[in-house]
Amino acid sequence: MEDGRHQTPELLRMDRITKSFGSLLADDAVTLDVRVGEIHALLGENGAGKSTLMKVLYGLHQPDSGEIWLDGQRITIGSPHEAVAYGIGMVHQQFMLVPNLTATENVILGMRAERRPMLDLAAARNRLVELAREYDLEVDPDAPVWQMSLGGQQRLEILKALFRGARLLVLDEPTAVLAPSEVGGLFRIMRQLASEGRGIVFISHKLSEVTDVSDHVTVLRLGRVTGTLPTRDATPHTLATMMVGREISLDRTTPPVVGSDTVLEIVGVHCLTDRGTPGLAGVDLVVRKGEILGIAGVDGNGQRELVECIAGLRPITAGTILVEGRPPSSALREPGLLGLVPEDRYEQGLIGDFDVSENLVLRAYQRAPFSTNGFLRWGRIRDNATQRIAAFDIRCPGPLAPVRSLSGGNQQKVVIARETQDDPALIVASQPTRGLDVGAVESVLNLLRQQRDRGAAVVFVSTELSEVLALSDRVVVMHKGEIMGEVPPDPAALGRIGEMMMGRSLASIDAGAVA
Amino acid sequence: MIAVGRGYSVRQMVRTAAYRAVTPVLSVLLAFLVSAAIILAVGTDPIVAFGSMLNGAFGSQTALATTGVRMTPILFTGLAVAVSFRAGVFNVGAEGQLYLGAAFGAAVALLPIGLPALVHIPLALIAGFIGGAVWAFVPGYLRAYRGVSEVVTTLMLNFVAIQLVSYLVDPLVGPIGERGAAYAQSSVIDPAAKLPILLRGTSLHAGLLLGLGLAIALWVLIGYTRLGFRMRMLGANPIAARFAGVKSAREIMTVMLLSGGIAGLAGAVEVIGLRYRLFDHFSPGYGYDGIAVALLANSNPLGVILSSGFFAALRAGANSMQQATGIETSVVLIIQALTILFLIFRPLRDWIGSRAGRPPRLAQDTLIDAA
Amino acid sequence: MQLDVAFLIDWGSAAIRLATPLVLAAVGGVYAERSGVFNIGIEGMMLSGAFVAVAVSYFLGAADPAVASICAAIAAMLAGGGMAFVHAYLSITRRADQIISGAAINILALGLTNTLYRVVWGSAGRERVAGFPTIRIPILADIPVLGPILFDHSLIVYVAYVLPFIAAFVLYRTTWGLNIRAAGDFPLAVDTAGLSVTVTRYVAVVFSGMMAGLGGAALALGAVRYFTPGMTAGRGFIVLGAIVFGRWNPILASFACLLFGAADALQLRAQALSIGIPYQFLVMLPYLLAVLAIAGAIGRSAPPLALGRPYRRGER
Repeated sequence: MEDGRHQTPELLRMDRITKSFGSLLADDAVTLDVRVGEIHALLGENGAGKSTLMKVLYGLHQPDSGEIWLDGQRITIGSPHEAVAYGIGMVHQQFMLVPNLTATENVILGMRAERRPMLDLAAARNRLVELAREYDLEVDPDAPVWQMSLGGQQRLEILKALFRGARLLVLDEPTAVLAPSEVGGLFRIMRQLASEGRGIVFISHKLSEVTDVSDHVTVLRLGRVTGTLPTRDATPHTLATMMVGREISLDRTTPPVVGSDTVLEIVGVHCLTDRGTPGLAGVDLVVRKGEILGIAGVDGNGQRELVECIAGLRPITAGTILVEGRPPSSALREPGLLGLVPEDRYEQGLIGDFDVSENLVLRAYQRAPFSTNGFLRWGRIRDNATQRIAAFDIRCPGPLAPVRSLSGGNQQKVVIARETQDDPALIVASQPTRGLDVGAVESVLNLLRQQRDRGAAVVFVSTELSEVLALSDRVVVMHKGEIMGEVPPDPAALGRIGEMMMGRSLASIDAGAVA
Repeated sequence: MIAVGRGYSVRQMVRTAAYRAVTPVLSVLLAFLVSAAIILAVGTDPIVAFGSMLNGAFGSQTALATTGVRMTPILFTGLAVAVSFRAGVFNVGAEGQLYLGAAFGAAVALLPIGLPALVHIPLALIAGFIGGAVWAFVPGYLRAYRGVSEVVTTLMLNFVAIQLVSYLVDPLVGPIGERGAAYAQSSVIDPAAKLPILLRGTSLHAGLLLGLGLAIALWVLIGYTRLGFRMRMLGANPIAARFAGVKSAREIMTVMLLSGGIAGLAGAVEVIGLRYRLFDHFSPGYGYDGIAVALLANSNPLGVILSSGFFAALRAGANSMQQATGIETSVVLIIQALTILFLIFRPLRDWIGSRAGRPPRLAQDTLIDAA
Repeated sequence: MQLDVAFLIDWGSAAIRLATPLVLAAVGGVYAERSGVFNIGIEGMMLSGAFVAVAVSYFLGAADPAVASICAAIAAMLAGGGMAFVHAYLSITRRADQIISGAAINILALGLTNTLYRVVWGSAGRERVAGFPTIRIPILADIPVLGPILFDHSLIVYVAYVLPFIAAFVLYRTTWGLNIRAAGDFPLAVDTAGLSVTVTRYVAVVFSGMMAGLGGAALALGAVRYFTPGMTAGRGFIVLGAIVFGRWNPILASFACLLFGAADALQLRAQALSIGIPYQFLVMLPYLLAVLAIAGAIGRSAPPLALGRPYRRGER
């Protein structure tokens, strides 16, 4: 029951915080309250508003409305410096560590030194070592940060916060960079810090961790709080439902075309992430003509790497990928093989300074009819643009409009129009509806359906479970670079999907269910 | 930027051109204003000073010829730099590439092979292009395949090139140095390798026409060919270019070689068109002027014609200004520098508005890649 | 000329003399680049410093040479610092392209100094002015060979002896130095630590301009004692190479400058020495070394990670 909690003093209260950026409402009257000694999990998908909320807490943004209360006092936080002064310590997902400085130097950066301007390296070093010993956080005070493992850097970030006397510690997706063996260590520290009277805000996607370590959980979806409850009262199913909402459409359009031709074949593929950690850990997938494979899963579990490997943009360290029997290096170069709708449509999918007609031929400009004998045929490029704009209902002033002036949805249509130009055998769409309004989302999903109906094989990667279920013919779940299992796109499978997102393989879930 | 034949109406093209011209023109005007103040402070009437400058640049046939002669080398180097900027590559090594091109061109031009001009001249020019490209190869390779910034490498190689040429024409030990000469220079080149003079009685030579032709050719290349499209993709958004299948390493190499080659042409043309010898330290910084020229023209090859003409007029007029008013020719450098400073002073740009064409995104943020 | 002790002393002494302006400018350049701002305008700032130093010394003609030269040095630092402020403003506040900004400053400096040179001295040409007083350190200068090489120089040389070590100390052992190193590596961390990336960078860049100006003063007043148009002749650029060669460490960069100074001194004497190598190759050498260093052929080259990148809060 909640009674015990109400008796615990309130440490932090973010009350009805609202923040928007232009027309995008990131946080809508979000209330978060953290008690002393409590580990409070903040759960939600990408774009749910978690990071904006934390940026407000850390003084990087000012809320449009709402209040922040600390220990029952109303405060305003104008900058990160003030946040630190209030005892709010943040361990960001992207570490705020200077790579070429040592651990000790990083810890004292920005702190008032005793004998200004001299650095008190010796004293700081001792205190750091002391703290590290107290909390059993292994760190080498003299090592430059770039030499430290990610787990070590994270420990350093925590120590940095403790060094400054943080009473409220915010951990943003801390387990993203940890090996499974290190996660236990992190949780131990969290419990120890909480038991000393600190408050901990633990931001995560991962349902299993939330249930493991937190006392209380608040779920955000699309900028709103969809639920806040003690963790012991939360089941994976309830949490998943809160994260996903109830917009799971049961409308399925034409039944999937069951083709026999394999378009995409992935066997035993391994690869590394940009950081050098394992990205894909043995992925096997087959996608056939005329079907949509939905890849669900929490962001950061290898989806990005998988897409890049298929497109030939990332080297494979083991295994094979074949797109219509061709290696990934040909995927983007040979026409008719791959249409790629990348995750970041503006940075990766479009050239903002170019106009619509140019963006529509980014992949095809080298071939007829758009060029002959090495020269571009602008007339044909323009005509093509006019035609595609009409076909895809792209709202823009005309083919010569700079693409940066288009809305997000229309920009995405440009990308899709381009990538489907050659009727490619395989289409990979990575988070294609991110940041789009409802109408645009509908258009994009319909366009993908049309491609499937044409006979293409479509891989649809999305963190939006409702969309995955509505669009896909088959659904697989990725976790830590592996495929956990495949389920039919049935809302009833939500529980199993949730568990797979937590890291349980389908086999073990089913075995558990039977027993 | 390249608007002809793309479907823009004439009115649209004129408007775009006008918008694009506003920032540079305004920068120039402001530079002149500030320089006028300096001239005034030194005790001369700026109107008289600028008037004599104008006269010296355009006031007579001789003046025009002088302007044309001054324009030729910086037209080439401006094109060289503009081409690299377009692709997001920062070639500040035009000076060194120019010297190497001059050396290669001179070497060929010196050969007493008895070929007719129709053959000898193109050979010398090709040699010049190759010389410049060779000099751009190493920095280009380091940038394309190792992610090493091309700025410091090309800059350092400038000085190496100058010394190399100095050695080549050394009167005592240089392989092509003229023994016993008063200056460090090569012998006179073969008469058949000399570029024809355009205006009798002046030094104005066909190199200018070559440059103009090259400018048009590059305009066509950048705006109407596949290579040009790739270059623009790379310069505008290298990430999206990669996602569209562009092999950036190969493109960067191509661009550096092309840019270096064009700068090499600048040197070769100077040798076979104007000086007829390879001189020690013959360039008063044409390579660096090329940067200013390209910048003022927003890296548009046709614009480079105008901006190189402008800077040439400044230099040509400076001498008359000095003779008439005693103001140092170096005032021209001040005008040039101020023009650039005003040009990159963002509020000026932003004030003109976003329709006034963006400069190419420069490769500032690809210093040595740790990964 | 023989390769004997007298030559060695002559060469060594010249090496130090020629290296001094480079060392001063390099120390400043290290600070600027460490903070994340590329200062290609060192050449122009040195030139401005040289001119201002000579001009001030000229106008203070009647005064005590020591006083005059120190005033000249201060004026040179102000001139260099002033130009650096413009560069800082354009690069940091306006986020303009740092290369272009620096290049423009070089041209501006050349134009201004050439123009003002004529204004001040007209066609009279160069006139010798009072330079830095020569100080021969007793006892130390009597050490055979090393003594005359190291301890019989103008005042500014001794400054250049000491400066790199002080600069290194400040860079690695004080809060200011820590902030500068952090700002050039990962400015976001500096921002979130509550410090101002902008102020840190401004200070570093202006300092680099002051040092470049001082280097120019050393060039003009250290030995020759007059100003010639364009007298820096590319030294500001070789300083950039020394910074890379010295891996952005003030002391190592200074040793690189010493190396370059030695090469410069050698090439001036090479012909008389008849080594057989044309002097041009010796002049080339420092620049080639710099290219090799930046290509990673000589040791690990690790520039500040944020070098050349303007900082904007909210950007990754």
